[in-house]
Amino acid sequence: MQETDLHDLSDDADYAASIQQGSASVMMTRSGSGKQSSSSEPEGAEIVYSKDNVAIHPTQFASENIAGRLKLIKQGNSLFMTWIPYKGQNSNARLSERDRNLYTIRAVPFSDVRSIRRHTPAFGWPYVIVVLSSGLAYPPLYFYNGGVKEFLATIKQHAFVVRSLEDANVFLVNDFQSPLQRTLSSLELPGAAASVPNGLSLALSSNESQSYGNLDRTGGAISDGTSSFSQNHGRQRHKSNDPARDLSIHVLEKFSLVTKFARDTTSQLFRENHGNGFGGLERKSYSHESVDIPRKASKDEEKIIDEHPVPPDPIEKLLDKKHDLGEEAATNVGTFELINFKEFDKKTLVWGKPRQPPLGYEEWATFLDFEGRVVDSNALKKRIFYGGVDHTLRKEVWPFLLGYHDYDSTYAEREYLKATKKLEYETVKRQWQSISSEQARRFTKFRERKGLIDKDVVRTDRSFSFFDGDDNPNVNMLRDILLTFSFYNFDLGYCQGMSDFLSPILYVMEDESESFWCFVALMERLGPNFNRDQNGMHSQLFALSKLVELLDSPLHNYFKQNDCLNYFFCFRWVLIQFKREFDYDKTMCLWEVLWTHYLSEHMHLYVCVAILKRYRHKIIGENMDFDTLLKFINELSGHIDLDPIIRDAEALCICAGEHGAASIPPGTPPSLPVENENGSLYVQEDEVL
Amino acid sequence: MASRRRMLLKVIILGDSGVGKTSLMNQYVNRKFSNQYKATIGADFLTKEVQFDDRLFTLQIWDTAGQERFQSLGVAFYRGADCCVLVYDVNVMKSFDSLNNWREEFLIQASPPDPENFPFVVLGNKIDVDGGNSRVVSEKKAKTWCASKGNIPYFETSAKDGFNVEAAFECIAKNALKNEPEEDPYLPETIDMTGGQQQRSSGCEC
Ligand SMILES: Nc1nc2c(ncn2[C@@H]2O[C@H](COP(=O)(O)OP(=O)(O)OP(=O)(O)O)[C@@H](O)[C@H]2O)c(=O)[nH]1
Ligand SMILES: [Mg+2]
Repeated sequence: MQETDLHDLSDDADYAASIQQGSASVMMTRSGSGKQSSSSEPEGAEIVYSKDNVAIHPTQFASENIAGRLKLIKQGNSLFMTWIPYKGQNSNARLSERDRNLYTIRAVPFSDVRSIRRHTPAFGWPYVIVVLSSGLAYPPLYFYNGGVKEFLATIKQHAFVVRSLEDANVFLVNDFQSPLQRTLSSLELPGAAASVPNGLSLALSSNESQSYGNLDRTGGAISDGTSSFSQNHGRQRHKSNDPARDLSIHVLEKFSLVTKFARDTTSQLFRENHGNGFGGLERKSYSHESVDIPRKASKDEEKIIDEHPVPPDPIEKLLDKKHDLGEEAATNVGTFELINFKEFDKKTLVWGKPRQPPLGYEEWATFLDFEGRVVDSNALKKRIFYGGVDHTLRKEVWPFLLGYHDYDSTYAEREYLKATKKLEYETVKRQWQSISSEQARRFTKFRERKGLIDKDVVRTDRSFSFFDGDDNPNVNMLRDILLTFSFYNFDLGYCQGMSDFLSPILYVMEDESESFWCFVALMERLGPNFNRDQNGMHSQLFALSKLVELLDSPLHNYFKQNDCLNYFFCFRWVLIQFKREFDYDKTMCLWEVLWTHYLSEHMHLYVCVAILKRYRHKIIGENMDFDTLLKFINELSGHIDLDPIIRDAEALCICAGEHGAASIPPGTPPSLPVENENGSLYVQEDEVL
Repeated sequence: MASRRRMLLKVIILGDSGVGKTSLMNQYVNRKFSNQYKATIGADFLTKEVQFDDRLFTLQIWDTAGQERFQSLGVAFYRGADCCVLVYDVNVMKSFDSLNNWREEFLIQASPPDPENFPFVVLGNKIDVDGGNSRVVSEKKAKTWCASKGNIPYFETSAKDGFNVEAAFECIAKNALKNEPEEDPYLPETIDMTGGQQQRSSGCEC
């Protein structure tokens, strides 16, 4: 362990990171309040509490804090809360009218509030987090001038509020149906799930709050807080500094979703599978939670795993929560919606935006100007990302996505390109066509390359009608294109998997030359997948492992402990972008989504994470070793439901944000390869091919 | 559990792309041949329960991609193998020439404790093609090579019509078993692999 005192600041840094992306909370606020009455103060209302200088901190920059006035308003029997940011604040000149509207909390009735958590850090301002029964939470409200106590007292006077038995800082609102015994880990961070099974109170008390409090200051103030913090808590060195764990917090905070029932669901999960055993994985992953519970902390050192407890997916817990509530909640990544997830006979939430119908001709026309240029390529990519392309239109759209056509090319230019490229194709094709059998006999490399291609094209999608039967001309076309490509890019040559990529392209483009050039464009990005040294594959699998570490640290730890970190079980997924995992139609749909490079060039890696997360429970619960895992993944082929996976991937990508992007080394395919000094893109030492 | 692991016999099938590794494995395990198998990407395995002398074993047969470029991946699966099957296509000289490379690469990567005596089995596949007329590697040539490498058992097979596949894998399984450590407490000391009367192939030296 290279832990130092400084590392005790990790919480601060993470929290800073977590709130850096203010937009998430912003949107959350909007969507949460969107359901409410639009007027800021109901008619005939009485203001029972009003506090100035209550602020939210959308970013870690003090200059971007937004101060406003918090009010409690009583109307009839109902109590409402509003928070209106001040206009024209000097400190945040950047606060536009739009932002102001986004952040504003408009008259939330307390009937919609689930709980309020009070944080009174030793350093920094006290704040509260208000959680709605939908599971959404507003960003923390910081009370610059104090007043949290009165705030809560006032609420108590006008609404049904009880203090949680488990945590004195949590106040439950309207908790009628399940009295005080109800376990409530509301507002706990991911580790809530690790709360002690014997009912020991799990207080996320001053320590953690404190660290958050540090954030309230900038610059020197933080270092001040630091030293005090590490002095006070130096003995807690054992706590985890697992960056992945930290991201879990980040993820939760970012979505401002609160796991009210996290503990319930988790303990239930454990009851189902493992009696009441909380195994080592669980303890290890969430050891940070133990800071307040020395008795438990000492156990953290043990890493004995005698059972196969499944550490909860920080994100999945949110889903369970949603399940309990049985409702939809709009967030900035779209609408949450429940689906029935057969495998586990358990409802799981699908998130990310709902898929749209594919882009059709009429709509496509609206993207083009009168000469055929795509006016707003980003809008187009976004549209395709969320809905794909109608099959009849693919022929027209794929060349753009693949980079064969420029978005600002005109109809005329594309026609011209088609003609000239056809000639160019024919020229390259003639190069191998002109090799006589006499010549071929003395041209081992050619013979073997051709032999390999011949063998592969007859093993490519033969059950698909377009390629079935003997002497199918489309199979011959596959062969000709691949052979021509191996001359066009002699260094890269031919490698297995290429025919899998070409097959749908040919099916879509129908034309030999056009297919060839689309394939060439695709190989510009994915060629490194087929490099002799496999560096393209290794860098992607490495990035994948980093993303899993970031987005599901318990799963990452599981892979680590089971020697699965090479991620070879995802090799096929990555090499041919899931071509073998979905049926033909779905593959085409996924590909066009990936090829938009909307949100990320590496969406395919988030797709991997999404699939793994779907099955994490099974993988960990069944204690799969490397072999079993590989087999399991191979056999998932044909059983993965694509749409929810795309939505998950989208949400994960948004969650990961910059952390995700930073996990992926530059030049990782399909990022464009960096040319080396020789100007050769592919350094091939392949002796044969 | 420990006892279960001991029962597992791990077999790796190696050979150039297209020689019929996937087809052989499927023919043996599922008794069927399809010309719709795809080129193998990554690796996969099938398992089959086999019985010798009233004892059950699980044969875990690993099929990896044949293309040279994927070898850096394949090696990850070599470790712990109990027997290595080298396959070539009797109609393709190159695939026969490659056997030496495959064998050496395997020994380097898997680094078995006793490389000299590590069990290999060689299969010359696709003998059905064109009624044997397109054959370029003679049985004699293959057997000579096998003899030179420490009397590797040799079988001629057709994954397509199933010829000799069962016999070949029986020999493979027995060789794999022979490779299991002697001190295995779960194996009766008296296991005698040579005494099996069911042995159908003269090629199996085990
Ligand atoms: N006639 C005939 N064809 C065979 C036989 N075995 C395999 N094939 C065919 O040969 C081709 C290659 O077979 P595979 O089993 O896929 O070859 P492989 O060794 O697994 O190839 P890779 O996965 O690329 O390494 C396929 O088209 C099979 O149908 C055989 O015994 N006879
Ligand atoms: Mg194969």
